[in-house]
Amino acid sequence: MNVFWAVLWKDLVSEWRSRDRVVSMLVFSALVVLVLQFALPADAGRRLQGGVAGLLWVAYVFAGVLGLNRAFALELENEALSGLALAPADRGFLFLGKAIANALLLGVVQAATALVFALFFDVSLAPVAPGFALVAALGALGISSMGTLFAALAVRTRQREVMLPLLLLPVLVPVLFGAVRATSGLLSDGTLQAAPLQLLAVTDAVYLIVSFVLFEFVLDE
Amino acid sequence: MNGPAAAIAARGLVKRFGPVTALDGIDLDVSRGSVLAVLGPNGAGKSTLLRLLAGLARPSAGSLELAGAPRDRRRARGRVGYVAHATFLYPALTARENLVFAARLYGVGDPGRRADALLTQLGLDGVAHRPAGGFSRGMAQRLAIARALVHAPDVVLLDEPYTGLDRAAAETLSAEIRRLREGGRTLLLVTHELSRACELADAAVVLSRGRVVHEAHGDGLRLERLERAYLESVESAA
Amino acid sequence: MPRAALDRLAARLRTPTLALALALAAAWLYAVASAPNDAVQGPIQKILYVHVPVAFAAYLGFLVTAIGGALYLWRGDEQYDRLGISAAEVGVLFCTLVIVTGPIWARGTWGKWWSWDPRLTVTLLLWFIYLAYLLIRSFTEGSERGARFAAVYGIAGLAAIPLNYFAIDLFGSRAIHPENLQRGSLGEGMGLPFGLGVIAAIAAFFHLLARRLEVEALRQADAAFAAGAAPIRAGSAR
Repeated sequence: MNVFWAVLWKDLVSEWRSRDRVVSMLVFSALVVLVLQFALPADAGRRLQGGVAGLLWVAYVFAGVLGLNRAFALELENEALSGLALAPADRGFLFLGKAIANALLLGVVQAATALVFALFFDVSLAPVAPGFALVAALGALGISSMGTLFAALAVRTRQREVMLPLLLLPVLVPVLFGAVRATSGLLSDGTLQAAPLQLLAVTDAVYLIVSFVLFEFVLDE
Repeated sequence: MNGPAAAIAARGLVKRFGPVTALDGIDLDVSRGSVLAVLGPNGAGKSTLLRLLAGLARPSAGSLELAGAPRDRRRARGRVGYVAHATFLYPALTARENLVFAARLYGVGDPGRRADALLTQLGLDGVAHRPAGGFSRGMAQRLAIARALVHAPDVVLLDEPYTGLDRAAAETLSAEIRRLREGGRTLLLVTHELSRACELADAAVVLSRGRVVHEAHGDGLRLERLERAYLESVESAA
Repeated sequence: MPRAALDRLAARLRTPTLALALALAAAWLYAVASAPNDAVQGPIQKILYVHVPVAFAAYLGFLVTAIGGALYLWRGDEQYDRLGISAAEVGVLFCTLVIVTGPIWARGTWGKWWSWDPRLTVTLLLWFIYLAYLLIRSFTEGSERGARFAAVYGIAGLAAIPLNYFAIDLFGSRAIHPENLQRGSLGEGMGLPFGLGVIAAIAAFFHLLARRLEVEALRQADAAFAAGAAPIRAGSAR
C-alpha cells in the first residue's frame, strides 16, 4: 500500500514540475470541443439539450487517451519502467498508483473542459455541478483503469500512439454509455439517473480489479 | 563451489526470445562475498544473464537460486541490486527524491534517512536537491548505484558500469566495488575491460553465444589467459 | 519429437470434428430447406440459420482465446499461447460472418443495412476486440512478450464483453433483434435447423481450431529451426 502512495506522489509531483501532460490534454480537449462546435449547427446546444453530452465525453476520451500515452512515455526515459519492475512490490499497487494519478489529472482536464464546453454550447452545468462531478469522476476512473493497463502494453509496441485507442475504445463502451446517459439526464432535466450510475460503478469496479490483477504480467520483459 | 558458500547458483539456464536463444545452458556458481567478472563479445548474453538474475525476466528453462532467497520470485527481487546501462532515474525528480522513491518501492524503513546516508556515501550531497535530469554521466551513474543499494541487497549486478566514465569517476567506482565486497556482498560485474576484471574480480567467466566458454578462479585468473579466451570467443562469434 | 498435449489432442480431433461438421451441415441444409418460411419475414429469414450459429462460434472463440491466455500466463507453456492465437484467428472469421449476415438479413426484412440493436452491436465490438488482440501480437517486439501482452488483453476483453452487452442492452436504441432464444417465438419446425446449425458451427470451429493449432506448432518449430536453434519441443515448459 505504501507503494501505491509512493507511485501516486511521484506521478503527481513529476507532472506538477513540468505540467506538460495536463497542458497538452487541456489544449487538445478544448480543440476537440471547438471542432465539434464547428461541425454542428449553431444552436445545437439549445436544440439537442441533453444530446450534446456525448460530444463532451468524446473530448474527454480523446484527452484521456492522450494523457495515458504520455504517462508511460515518461516511464520509458531511462527505462524507469524496468526500475519499477525490479521492485519486490506488489505490481497491482504500482498499477493503482498510476491509475489514480491518471484519473486525477483527467479530472482536472474534465473540469476545465466542462467550462469551455458550457460556454461554446451554451448549456448550463452549474446547477447540476455536484451530480456532474460524480459522473465525471466515475467516468475518469473507468477510462484510467483499463487505460493504464493498456497504455503499459501499448507503450512497448510499435505504433504505440495508435495501439492504445485500438485496444481501449471497444472496452470503454460501457463506461461511455453510462457516462453519456447520466450526463444527458443531468443536462436535460437535472436528474441523476440511477441506472447509468450503476452501470458505471459496476464497470469501474470490474475494470479496476481485472487491471489490478493483470498488471502483474505486464512489467516482465 | 557448492553448498552454503554459493550465493548464486544457476543450472542449465536457458532464455529464449521467440526463435532466438540468448542463453543456451549456463551453469554458474558464485560464492558469497566474491566478485565475478562476466566477459564476452557483444551479443554473448551477458546482459540477458544479468536481467534474469535481477528478476526482470523468467528463464525459459533451467534453475536459478539466490542463496537464502525465497522461491517467490517477487521477494527474491528484493535481495538484488541492479545497475544497468539505463539509470532508472526520473529526470524531473531531484537526486534525493529519486532515492526516497526507490526506498519506498523497496519497503525500506525511514526512506529519508537512508537516502541521505547514500547520498553522502556516494559523494552526492552537493546535488541532493538538483533534478536528476541535469546530471552528468558520472553523477547519474553514482546516483544509479545509490539507487541499486537503497535496500542493502545481498547481490549487486553491474552491467558495464565503467562505460562513459572518466578516470576519476572510474576510480571512485572501483573503490565502491571493493567496499561492497568487503562488506560481504556478492557482485557480478559485466565489463569489456579485462585488466579491470583481473584487478577487481575473484573469478571470471567468458560467455559466447549464450554459453560459458572459459572459467577462471583465484590464481587461475590471469590477464593473458583471459585475453586469449576473449579473443577466441570474439573470433568464433564473428 | 515429443509433442505438447494440446497438439496431440488437435491431431486426434481433426478428422472426427470434420466428419461431425460435414454430417451436421448436411443435416442442417436439409432442415433449412424443409423448414417453413417465416410468416412475416419470408424466405430471407433463413439466413438467420447461418447468422445465429456462427455467432455462437464467434463468442466461443473468444472464450477459448481468453482461456488460452489465462493458462499461458499461469503456466508459461507455449502451447496455451498457440491455443490463444488459433482460437482468435478462427473466431474472428466466424465473427466476420456474423457481421456480414446480420445486415443482409436486416436489409431483407427491415429495409436498412444497419441497426443499432444490442446483439449485433456487441458482436461488432467483439470484432474490434478480436482485431486489437491480433494487432497487439503483431506489433509487439519479441514473440514471448507479444504472447503475454495478447493474453492480458484477451482476458481484459473477455471481462468487457458482458459489460458491453449490458450497456448496449440498457441504453442502446430500440432493439429490433428478434428474441429467438425463447422457445415460444420460434415457429413450428424452426427449432431443428437452429439446433443443428449451432452444433455444426461449433464442430466446424473446433475442426478449424485443430488445424490452425497444427499450423501454428509447425510455424514455431520452423522459425526456431531457421534461427539455428536446436529443434525445440513444441510446447516447451519452463
